[in-house]
Amino acid sequence: MMNQGAETLATVDPSSLENRYVINGQGQASSYPPSAAGSEALSWTTHRVDNSSTENGIPSNSTYNYDPHMQQPAAISSSLGSSSTQQDYNGYTSYSNSSDPYAYGSTGYQGYYNNNYQQQTNSYQQQTNHSYSQPVGAYQNTGAPYQPLSSFQNTGSYAGSSSYTSTYYNPGDYQTAGGYPSSSYNNQTSGWNDGNYANYTSQQYANYTPDTNAVYSSGTAPATSVNYQQHYKQWADYYSQTEVSCAPGTENIAVNSTSNFGTSTGYPTFNSQPHPPYNQSWRPESVPSEVPPVQSGSVVSGAYDGYWKHGAPTAQIHNTSPAQPHFQKPLEQKSSYDSFQDQQKTACPQGPSLQYPASHQVSHLSQSPQVPHLSQLPQVPQLNPVPQTYQSPVQTAPSLDTRRVNKLQIPTNPRIASNLTFGITKTDKDSSTISAAAKPAYVSVSLPKPNEKTPSSTGADSMLKPGMFPKSLRGYVERALARCKDETQMMACQATMKDMITKATADGTLYTRDWDIEPLFPLPNSDDDNKEILQGTTPISILPKFKRSPNRRSKSRWEPLPDEKPIEKPAYANNNALKYAGWMHANEKDRKTLNFGSKDNNSNNTKFLSLEQKGASKIIQRPVKKQRHSDGLGAVENGDASSDSDKEQGLTAYYAGASALANSPEERRRRESRSKRFEKGQGHRTETNHHKAKNSGAGNLYARRAMISKNFEDGASRAVEDMDWDTLTVKGTCQEIEKRYLRLTSAPDPSSVRPEEVLEKALLMVQNSQKNYLYKCDQLKSIRQDLTVQRIRNQLTAKVYETHARLALEVGDLPEYNQCQSQLKVLYAEGIEGCHMEFSAYHLLCVILHSNNYRDLLSSMSRLSDEAKRDKAVKHALAVRAAVTSGNYVMFFRLYKTAPNLNTCLMDLYVEKMRFKAVSCMSRSYRPTLPVSYIAQVLGFATVVPANEGSDEKDLDGVEECVEWLKAHGACLITDNNGEIQLDTKPTSSSLYMPEPEDAVSHGDASLAVNDFLTRTTL
Amino acid sequence: MAYVSMGEAHRRITDYLNRFSDAVLSQDGASLKLLLSVSSNSPSLLSLADALNVFQDATRLIKHSDSYSQFAEILVPLFRSLHNYRLGNLIDAYQAFEKSANAFIQEFRNWDSAWALEALYEVAYEIRVLAERADRELASNGKSPEKLKGAGSFLMKVFGVLAGKGPKRVGALYVTCQLFKIYFKLGTVHLCRSVIRSIETARIFDFEEFPKRDKVTYMYYTGRLEVFNENFPAADHKLSYALKHCNPQSTANIRMILKYLIPVKLSIGILPEDWLLEKYNLVEYRNVVQALRRGDLRLLRHALLEHEDQFLRSGVYLVLEKLELQVYQRLIKKIYIIQKQKDPSKAHQLKLEVIVKALKWLEMDMDVDEVECIVAILIYKNLVKGYFAHKSKVVVLSKQDPFPKLNGKPVNS
Repeated sequence: MMNQGAETLATVDPSSLENRYVINGQGQASSYPPSAAGSEALSWTTHRVDNSSTENGIPSNSTYNYDPHMQQPAAISSSLGSSSTQQDYNGYTSYSNSSDPYAYGSTGYQGYYNNNYQQQTNSYQQQTNHSYSQPVGAYQNTGAPYQPLSSFQNTGSYAGSSSYTSTYYNPGDYQTAGGYPSSSYNNQTSGWNDGNYANYTSQQYANYTPDTNAVYSSGTAPATSVNYQQHYKQWADYYSQTEVSCAPGTENIAVNSTSNFGTSTGYPTFNSQPHPPYNQSWRPESVPSEVPPVQSGSVVSGAYDGYWKHGAPTAQIHNTSPAQPHFQKPLEQKSSYDSFQDQQKTACPQGPSLQYPASHQVSHLSQSPQVPHLSQLPQVPQLNPVPQTYQSPVQTAPSLDTRRVNKLQIPTNPRIASNLTFGITKTDKDSSTISAAAKPAYVSVSLPKPNEKTPSSTGADSMLKPGMFPKSLRGYVERALARCKDETQMMACQATMKDMITKATADGTLYTRDWDIEPLFPLPNSDDDNKEILQGTTPISILPKFKRSPNRRSKSRWEPLPDEKPIEKPAYANNNALKYAGWMHANEKDRKTLNFGSKDNNSNNTKFLSLEQKGASKIIQRPVKKQRHSDGLGAVENGDASSDSDKEQGLTAYYAGASALANSPEERRRRESRSKRFEKGQGHRTETNHHKAKNSGAGNLYARRAMISKNFEDGASRAVEDMDWDTLTVKGTCQEIEKRYLRLTSAPDPSSVRPEEVLEKALLMVQNSQKNYLYKCDQLKSIRQDLTVQRIRNQLTAKVYETHARLALEVGDLPEYNQCQSQLKVLYAEGIEGCHMEFSAYHLLCVILHSNNYRDLLSSMSRLSDEAKRDKAVKHALAVRAAVTSGNYVMFFRLYKTAPNLNTCLMDLYVEKMRFKAVSCMSRSYRPTLPVSYIAQVLGFATVVPANEGSDEKDLDGVEECVEWLKAHGACLITDNNGEIQLDTKPTSSSLYMPEPEDAVSHGDASLAVNDFLTRTTL
Repeated sequence: MAYVSMGEAHRRITDYLNRFSDAVLSQDGASLKLLLSVSSNSPSLLSLADALNVFQDATRLIKHSDSYSQFAEILVPLFRSLHNYRLGNLIDAYQAFEKSANAFIQEFRNWDSAWALEALYEVAYEIRVLAERADRELASNGKSPEKLKGAGSFLMKVFGVLAGKGPKRVGALYVTCQLFKIYFKLGTVHLCRSVIRSIETARIFDFEEFPKRDKVTYMYYTGRLEVFNENFPAADHKLSYALKHCNPQSTANIRMILKYLIPVKLSIGILPEDWLLEKYNLVEYRNVVQALRRGDLRLLRHALLEHEDQFLRSGVYLVLEKLELQVYQRLIKKIYIIQKQKDPSKAHQLKLEVIVKALKWLEMDMDVDEVECIVAILIYKNLVKGYFAHKSKVVVLSKQDPFPKLNGKPVNS
């Protein structure tokens, strides 16, 4: 099933693809609930591989392999989590498998997906981070790394991502809900939607397939959440039907809700990108089988996970949120959107946060009333509840995803996959922290943040927790909203207030300002807002934003988030306004419902919390490790940072082969170090919030512990120190003799690694090859790489390095030679046989001739063994050293001619200097003249001359060359009576100079000719 | 290990603790120093270590009393270090001592006057010595010796504590010297530079105000650094300073200085008396000096070969090897003198073949081209004044001072 699904998917839905991703991630994460970052990462990587393959149009079987692993881990993870979760999970997995086939939907999607995906994922991450951070202090930190991707900057991308999430989520929701097939779906939606769903589907669907997905997800999400919170029984029913375990489902749902922001923004992108293919493929699929959306949802979550190294849980949450975003979209879109679009960067964080909370609430509410709330909630109260709900949902979502992943071969984008891996690890950590009873603390922490972010959110917060915002502020908000004549205005108002409150929070005036006398801001033009919203939805608008992202990025990094940036919005909006007119209606409806729900949500949330606490054990809750302030700066910075790493990862993922990826120790270590880096950066941001800092610290600890615990479950997720390297060593299967070198940026793929026998052949091939050095160098490097990744260290290794070193010497490629030399040194030290003496001679020559470091020379000389000193090559090298230190040019050039091995090549590099020294010495010492023929002979110009001193035998060519050389160096030449050319020493002594080398290249490596370079790249 | 009763152990430990707190309270650096010298094997510390072996709960003893507990950070690890040292667990001893030393530095920072400098010196010394021993143990266990490096960074910290203004500054040079010892041992002499810079550029403190002992050590090491840099005049200056101020009684130190000073002096044309080499047992230089006196290239090469390992290790090999040109100069000068005795009018024209023949007698098998090259180099380096006529293969020497003396200046390079 999975295979089929994956294949089909490839062509089809981005959403489905995403879902697959997610699934993969989950499967990897198998430990998910507990938060086995490592395992998740691993699975992800594999996914990536698969994805890439699918993208290419070649579905890889390798993914399949994963599935078993994934599932197993999942089960394990479930065990880690509370028992209830485990069960659920298990059920889930099975479910996901069945659902997997769904995912797929339209083939067209994939291509689309891939493109958008990266962007979306990027944006996603940012969004998630923001939203997350707000609710949960810890989150922000985690989010930070991610954000770097730059998705932030681009609202468009943002939107895309959000849409993705929604799609992703849906999958998740679906599965949980029961996968439902349409029936279960309908139920949920019906309860839910009431308003939202219906609207969405009808309008959005027609226009946007993605929308439908989102809608779906939202519908499911609520349902699940509802079940979770209140109606466990219902869940049970669901389960029985769907086979999905309740807990996972609920968790997923919650997650979905959180991701709302993202979805709303992302949504538009989604639609726009897929456009034509999307709509078509989607509609049919989405409607009948909601499965596709579900898958996408899962995918999203996975992506999120990756992003969230630190706050893996948050990432997951985001994922879930996508589903909700649809609901919320109408309301949120405006507010969040505005902020997003305006500042793109700044706005994003805020927007997400708001939505996030909302989504949570929604999930909790799960009831129809809640849904509406959710849409509004995002802005308001949700934040507080969100954290709590978040944790649990988030965790579950990942697990679900992974399972799905197992079965589904998701054509994930490399970047996403990479992100996922990251997130997973973090999530794990988070979850661990949460489990530690971090929840209560968590909640409290999260509360303050939401307030900061959005006015709407504040309102919600106040509902939930009266203490959060000053009463006066609430009143202010109410007054402001009361002015609004229609939905769009309301949304605009909310957005503005969000900005205001964020500002106030940032400058600390939130509580000191007298909101009662604060003048109301001018009512924003609803049209503009609408336009903006439209923009978000429209693909077109998104694209331009994307392009701009680089520019903005730099800005975002250092500047505080701009509070108001409405100016840009209108322009964007115009494009899409017409297309998306339909949206507005939906939004309106949503909003209404949302308003209702906010209160309900709150209540639900609280209930939820209590439930969660009671059943903490079951809940995998990922504590939000790093809570972040809503302030845009931090978020932006984080975003930037993460973007870099994401890119890196994305690239690697592209090239990554199959399953081995995630497991590779290098990769893991890299990830670890990266995440550490981020943690450091986060530390700064957490200054303001002590709670956050503590949480994050706890989170780390937990995460570590979680990692260890996971080891039992999943070998792949072991801590680096504990890793059994032997089991991780790649065993190559590639039979190609010729292979181009490509620097590995991720774990090697066994199918592209050659085993030793093949490498031997490859070495022979290179040795006998007639092609140029660059080709050989390339081939040898790939051989070296294959040796390294397989940890082959034997005579063959030495031979390869020796061969390469010799080749490099022949062409004077010192950097490459030095690499080989240092490797050889180690190899020889390990007792591996090779041409030790030859290379100690080279080493000596290198030190003498090129480093000219007295101490190095001494130490390498003192290290020579007696045996070495008797070696011909070493003796020669020592003699050369003596000649050089004493300036004995005659000796030098004599040694030059009798040099064994490739000593000549190294000496070659010193010849020019030596000649110059010699001639300046001669011009000082000889009077009145010196025959050039003698100079040519002594200084090695006469190539044919046997080294007979005093012989007058001379090679005319040599003399000519010498004359050329002398002229080039400013020597004065005269012809004596016999017609013999003489060096006029006296004037020469003052006129000699060292000319600039003619073949100098700006990059300093003459051997790297442009033509060679070009031919090389086209090989 | 002698048996120690519990009561006796307790008595010894409390005795030590009392002495420690008395020393600190009375600001008696000298007696505090004695209490810190873990590796000194002093009887009192040895007996204390035995007592610690018997009385395992010294920590509680320390923490129980207010007068000790304020030094618990120092004393607890110090006891552990002593104990481990006594048991031969040098790695543990070092680690514990480093902990104790860190705490000591913290305290030291808080003491306004420099009364505890003596004790600090002891700590700096101990940490180096213990690190060296711990490294030896590590190496024998097949592990990578890294403790000395750790001691280096610790001493860098101590240096930071001392290097500021104030009375404690006089201690900076001692720490610097311990650092030099570590860096030279580790072969990371480039790390010396930053310390040297802060010593030599500091205007607030005259170098001469440092203790003489430290000045000599400092000059010795910086002189050696200059040898590495082939900066012979500077090396000569520093090593001569060290020699001049070195305690004449400590012959071992003088020998160490001479080991570097002699090659430096040789390379600027100053030869030592034989008795000096005899007195300080620097016989490895005797043949080198002899070769320089006689112009005996073979002897020089032989001497270099004979002591190659030694010279390479001490780092003077290349310095000595460069004496070859002076040996050539001497040889040619001798030929010139002989020729002058035979025929003063033609003395300044030296036939190349004569030199070749002379080298043959020395069993140096060099052909005309090579010798011609050597002569060219000698002229180029101003060891011989004159010129070489290629056509006639004759060295034409200046009539005035054809073989200029180096007179304390290095050979032109």
